[in-house]
Amino acid sequence: MAHSADAHEHYHQPGLQHQFEDMKQQEESVSIGMWMFLVQEIMFFGGLFTVYLVFRSRFPMAFAAGSNHLDAFWGGLNTLVLIVSSLTMALTVYYAQKGNRNMQVILIVLTMIFGTVFLGVKAIEYTDKYNHGTVPVDGWNKRIPEGGATHSSTAEHSALTLPFETKASAAAATDAEPHESEVIHPNPQGRFMIEAKDLELVKQAQEGKFLTDAEKIGYFSNGEGNKPDGQIDVAKFRDKVRIFFWIYFVMTGLHAIHMIIGLGVMLWLLWKAWLGAFTAEYFSPVETAGLYWHFVDIVWIFLFPLLYLLGRHFLHGGGH
Amino acid sequence: MAHQTEQQNTHSHAQEDHEEHIGIPGYLAIFGILVVGTILTYFVATIDLDGIFPGANTLVALLIAFTKMTFVVLYFMHVRWQSKLIWLTTLAGFFWLAIMFAFVMQDYLTRGSGTFTN
Repeated sequence: MAHSADAHEHYHQPGLQHQFEDMKQQEESVSIGMWMFLVQEIMFFGGLFTVYLVFRSRFPMAFAAGSNHLDAFWGGLNTLVLIVSSLTMALTVYYAQKGNRNMQVILIVLTMIFGTVFLGVKAIEYTDKYNHGTVPVDGWNKRIPEGGATHSSTAEHSALTLPFETKASAAAATDAEPHESEVIHPNPQGRFMIEAKDLELVKQAQEGKFLTDAEKIGYFSNGEGNKPDGQIDVAKFRDKVRIFFWIYFVMTGLHAIHMIIGLGVMLWLLWKAWLGAFTAEYFSPVETAGLYWHFVDIVWIFLFPLLYLLGRHFLHGGGH
Repeated sequence: MAHQTEQQNTHSHAQEDHEEHIGIPGYLAIFGILVVGTILTYFVATIDLDGIFPGANTLVALLIAFTKMTFVVLYFMHVRWQSKLIWLTTLAGFFWLAIMFAFVMQDYLTRGSGTFTN
């Protein structure tokens, strides 16, 4: 970009494209263009947040149960990692405006390191979901052959396993070691599974009479006259929890793709900063990349409480 | 020519504008607010607030998230110092999002029981 402007240097500042009056107009045009893109991104993620809103308002207990399978420690850690990367990004823009090449390079590298740490934690979490049968597609989970203490011969029974006992307590204790005494249960076909404890939330809501209309039908088997008989139908409830995990994987997955694209942008920025392309009068690419990076951070600021924390207060009555 | 460029730089409009930004202590302060918000939202989620009114936990979590977002948008994304056009663009984004939420939910929340499942 800077090179094409060089030809016009006889009457312009370096970095000023010929179609703009001055640097201020150019900067604002770049900013408005980027904000238009970000508004589109708001609507893009907004569609998914709408899906979340619709399903959660109908099946809050299934969402709470699904949420309690996620590890709030990793989610919280990743939130902090992204906030640190946002700080280093903001400081990158600050030093670009000062024309300080070395600090730009250092801070871009730091931003990339934190972005990579985020993706690493995400990979750990996804692996954990795969190992414990919470990937929402049957057959895409780790296949664990029969032969344990659990006798689950029918598909109906294999929907009921107990792999997450320590998860909730570990999250409540803010312990970094949630994986110690977990029992892996057989899952020969790699199905999506929930645990018996998840049903406690339904019972809790049933006793407290705060089931939604959709839940009264969506969790229970049909008795006389095709009316829900108050007996929990595990398969029906499991499929509502499955909706939560679909939303979890799609939203965090798209967020992770945004992070990967962000890292690519950062790599390009690093190269340009290394060459000393950004100065006090030309730093729009740094500013623009920063806007993108902060936007991705904001998406996570909402994903963290909405996915990881929404069911935790139901656990409070139990322990801790 | 280099001399001429340098002269222009010192009077550069852009530079004047960006001197109003909050500087390193300011950025660190915003960072501190974001970290406190994250820790707060983590621990508030373990307290059962739904006894006050249903959905209180979610409301508190969203209020903290909105506060965090506001600080990021205003300071890290520099919207506070931007032109009215960019303010308008930003606010329009959230306005259209609110329309999408409102119009979808006014449908789903007013459906009779059981319409959604068979």
